[in-house]
Amino acid sequence: MIRGDARTGGLLDLRDDALAACVDCGLCLPHCPTYRVTGDERRSPRGRIALMRAVDGGGMEADEEVLESIDTCVLCRGCETACPSVVPFGELMAGTRASLGRTRRPPLRLRIGLAVLVRPRLLRFGSRFLAVLQRLHLLPRRLPLPQRLPLRDPRTPARTEGEVVLFTGCVMDAWQPDVHAAVEAVLEATDTRVRRSGDSAGCCGALHAHAGMDAAARRQAEQVMSALPGSDPVLVDSAGCGAALREFGVLLGTPEAAAFSARVRDVHEWLADRMSSLPVALPGDRPTVIVQDPCHLRHAQGVHADVRTVLAPYADLVELDDEGLCCGAGGAFAVLQPELAGEIRERKSAAISRAATRGRSDLVVSANPGCALHLAAAGHLVRHPLEIVADRLDREGGCVDVG
Amino acid sequence: MRRRRWSTRDPLVADLEAAVGAGHVQAGDAAVHLYSRDGSAIGGGRAGVVCLPGTAEEVAACIRVARRHGRAFVPRGAGTGLAGGAVPCDDPVVISTTRMTRILDVDIERRLAWVEPGVVNLDLTRHLAGTGLHFAPDPSSQQSCTLGGNVANNSGGPHCLAYGVTSAHVAAVEVALPDGDLVVLGEEEGDPVGYDLRGAFVGGEGTLGIATRIAVRLTADPPEIATLLLDFPTIETAADTVSAVVASGIVPAAMELMDQRVVRAVEPHANAGYSLDAAAVLIVELDGLPAGVAREVEAVTRIAGAHGADSVRVASDEEERERIWKGRKAAFGAIANIKPSYYLHDTVIPRTRLAEVVAEVNAIADRRGLIVMNVFHAGDGNLHPLLVFDEREPGVLEEVFAAGEEIVRLSLSVGGVLSGEHGIGLEKRQFMPLLFQPADLDAQRVLRDAFDQDGVANPHKVLPTGASCGDVQGMTRLPEGTWV
Amino acid sequence: MSGVHPGDIEAFAAAVGTDDPVCVRGGGSHWMLGGEPAAGVREVVAPSGIAAFDPAEMTVTVGAGTTLVDLAAVLVEAGQEVALEGPSGATVGGVLAVGRSSLRRGRVGAARDALLQATCVGADGRLFSAGGPTVKNVTGYDLCRLLVGSLGTLALLASVILRTRPVPEESCWLQGQMEPAAVAAGCHRPATLLWDGARTAVRLEGYREDVEGSAESLVAELGLEPIEGPPALPPHRSRWDGTLPEGGILEVGSGVVHGPEPLPVPVPAPGVAALGRRIRDGFDPTGRLNPGRDPYRLVA
Repeated sequence: MIRGDARTGGLLDLRDDALAACVDCGLCLPHCPTYRVTGDERRSPRGRIALMRAVDGGGMEADEEVLESIDTCVLCRGCETACPSVVPFGELMAGTRASLGRTRRPPLRLRIGLAVLVRPRLLRFGSRFLAVLQRLHLLPRRLPLPQRLPLRDPRTPARTEGEVVLFTGCVMDAWQPDVHAAVEAVLEATDTRVRRSGDSAGCCGALHAHAGMDAAARRQAEQVMSALPGSDPVLVDSAGCGAALREFGVLLGTPEAAAFSARVRDVHEWLADRMSSLPVALPGDRPTVIVQDPCHLRHAQGVHADVRTVLAPYADLVELDDEGLCCGAGGAFAVLQPELAGEIRERKSAAISRAATRGRSDLVVSANPGCALHLAAAGHLVRHPLEIVADRLDREGGCVDVG
Repeated sequence: MRRRRWSTRDPLVADLEAAVGAGHVQAGDAAVHLYSRDGSAIGGGRAGVVCLPGTAEEVAACIRVARRHGRAFVPRGAGTGLAGGAVPCDDPVVISTTRMTRILDVDIERRLAWVEPGVVNLDLTRHLAGTGLHFAPDPSSQQSCTLGGNVANNSGGPHCLAYGVTSAHVAAVEVALPDGDLVVLGEEEGDPVGYDLRGAFVGGEGTLGIATRIAVRLTADPPEIATLLLDFPTIETAADTVSAVVASGIVPAAMELMDQRVVRAVEPHANAGYSLDAAAVLIVELDGLPAGVAREVEAVTRIAGAHGADSVRVASDEEERERIWKGRKAAFGAIANIKPSYYLHDTVIPRTRLAEVVAEVNAIADRRGLIVMNVFHAGDGNLHPLLVFDEREPGVLEEVFAAGEEIVRLSLSVGGVLSGEHGIGLEKRQFMPLLFQPADLDAQRVLRDAFDQDGVANPHKVLPTGASCGDVQGMTRLPEGTWV
Repeated sequence: MSGVHPGDIEAFAAAVGTDDPVCVRGGGSHWMLGGEPAAGVREVVAPSGIAAFDPAEMTVTVGAGTTLVDLAAVLVEAGQEVALEGPSGATVGGVLAVGRSSLRRGRVGAARDALLQATCVGADGRLFSAGGPTVKNVTGYDLCRLLVGSLGTLALLASVILRTRPVPEESCWLQGQMEPAAVAAGCHRPATLLWDGARTAVRLEGYREDVEGSAESLVAELGLEPIEGPPALPPHRSRWDGTLPEGGILEVGSGVVHGPEPLPVPVPAPGVAALGRRIRDGFDPTGRLNPGRDPYRLVA
């Protein structure tokens, strides 16, 4: 019932069948991080959809209260996984924000921030500036920044040849270059030649789409696609970027974009199919890691199991007991809604503490830079899953036995 | 974002803000719109103002403020109810317990937990993981419904067949009475002292007060569980098997029946292993100590064979068991992908009459040109005939309601009752006189009036009042979705 | 045994009448509980007999004046029983009015959970029904649970529908010198746990192999010994106040202690007492039903 293309023609002009699919059962409620911490129907997926309906065709004014309901959505899409009626909530929210974005502008600081993301050199320069301030202890610790921003230009010499593309994006390239290096090392250990997407592809535009800046998001999508022609797989080590790239087809609605999206793989997903090519783990103590599922892996891409497949030969895994509830990072959400993001993070922190007690390790792995930064700002020790793997590869010892 | 807009304009809002804090009172259009509905999507209700108290004392304070301003109040949990029990009539104060989510105390030895009413049913059982205990009532909405809502509705679920509905699992409950007092009804252990006010309160659908703390009994996990999946050539043979199993003296933990339409809708999504060729699929779960379970598995297999079952499969491991149950619990989601709307009653009939009644339910739907899908708690005779339809077809809604009423009348004619677990709410109150005589309803009214002398607690619910608020016929929106 | 007829129920309502004080007499086995009826009050007797027993449905419709013994004799022929327990001569209506659960409640459940539907005579002499005939029902308010334990002060039970259950195939009693928690941890859903301060006695019920297996493991691992039946219970049944009296035996988990002396009856909180009073006044404005009796004076 939710496959039709007809639009509502209302104020938000959403896809009619998508909007009608919600049956108000409320099964989404506990899977929504903002409802979980507020108990407020206006902060729930069911409530947000009801308000979309009311604004779209019910004559309700999109006043401050409605906008706050829409703006406080983390877009984690945990509700989609929980929904028995398969309501495409992410699509509805993106459409709503895009429609509302035409009549209002996002906050200035967000617009500035997003403008920086699409200018790689400015981003790296700004990062180095922040790094200096950080070393001088002039930045508040609570800012969602890496604990040690790189002081040097992190770029490694870009390879132009390779059978797969590693999508390097914006923030991650500037702030967490070690992750890309580790991912590259792991991929190359399977005898795969990797080239980086680099500055010409730049930022995926996910945050622009989240903010309702539809035109900017489309622009980024076009830029990424034109920088990466051909048919080579595009591997992504940031869950948020991966989810965005996979939705270019929906965003642009062209066959070319759909074909591009079909090339995109989360790097763990790609590796999980090639485990027998990965070197075995170094002998000695295996690290114990707590696996945090970024929403954009678990709910948007549904490939969180692959992270475990890839990690399993190299580390002992401890699961969280919170059903994959969002950590509150949500791209720019932690910056725009710091109070809510903090309350949501407290739940995640409590789950991490419980897992740490069970597993006797407080090392968290997360395959998304936003989650990693958000959790690190609360004092958690967070690394990318493939950093763990890269450290543990025994290049002399044969390959992983998948039997 | 501050919510100052409403703080001083309305004295009711100002008093509520003084009671629970400014951030926890909502009177904007969006809030009023959202809190005017529940899981039933019965329209026509209207919330006045919404408050989210954080403690028992704040709940009582909200009630006192409402009364001082001459307003009724409506309690609300997660809003997953199916009978409109939380749909507000006449601008009342909606009191939502969703911020009261603490598990206050778990006493493993005494098998008792004190919880706040906003604790989600499944969260409690998850919290108990590893203790060997669980909370037995498991409504299919258990991942989101609250324990306060379970108490209000005396909720059921598949495993209530052996373990009983919520009332059997609530030892005591602290209640904010409609006069604003807090009292504790019931005892942590044993039978009540004096009148069983706890027993009377459970299932009161919010018309007797608001549960503010609940002492729930915890049930020991069974040492052995066997989950059987049985295929049948006709729905009648499946239904007869249910009757025969009950008659044999076996009390299964759960016994759930799905007809072919449901199975074919569910299986592609759930991969539960249901046979697409079977006219009906029965899930029978047996639990207890190993020898008894083994004997019951054998007995059920024999009974099913004698009634013409095509196959009987016992889940070989926990993973297979989970898939079988996941399919059952996902049934409604899959249906929503076939037709945009559905409507159902949850009447209970004698378990010896299942086959004939289900056949007649299907005939009712056929006569009216409707599709009916049966997925229900067969073991206790609790029907859930889903009438699925597309509201864009002209006149279909009238047919659906008429078929619904025929199913209700049919169920009552064989000695059934109106509701097994969803409650009466707004939706079924006009059917109450079909089951109860005036003297019966008068007795129920006496109980209600003793709790709520001035009629301020969730007015217009449960008992027929003649008021038009939220009447099913007056729905502003279609009953487009429900959950069992 | 003859069945109870609708005519008997009508006749009972007529006997109760509409004006003067009446008390209902069952077997008289719990006659002193909750206060003696006021002097000179007219006695009425509820109809007796089994109206309908449907073994396949696992329900039985029975006159409230039927004795438990007579009911059990009919049910056992189909291998079934009800979760009510009382001394010899006790009636179904009497045991429900007193509301005490069975010693076996760990297995059979509380007495109030057994009552599905009650047909009663109200203080105005009218017959009314509460609950419904099916094993699962949330239609309207749960008056049945309120009536159980109300000592006939709200309405007089005429006829009831009870949930039946299979008689356990096997049962046994064991006893040993250890805490009840240790025994409880060693078996699944014991029917009864009794604790006298030094020893725990346990009743196991269920399928033969399971009961035998559980008993063997309790004997082998915890050193329990089989006993013929429950230890003799001291005469006074009271609500447990948290301490075990000298010479007392606790029904673990049921809030009941049996002791040589009665313990004080707990006093309900003012709000609870007021609510109870409003309920009684609402059902029986003139106080004509079982005057002198008060559920709040019922000692557990």
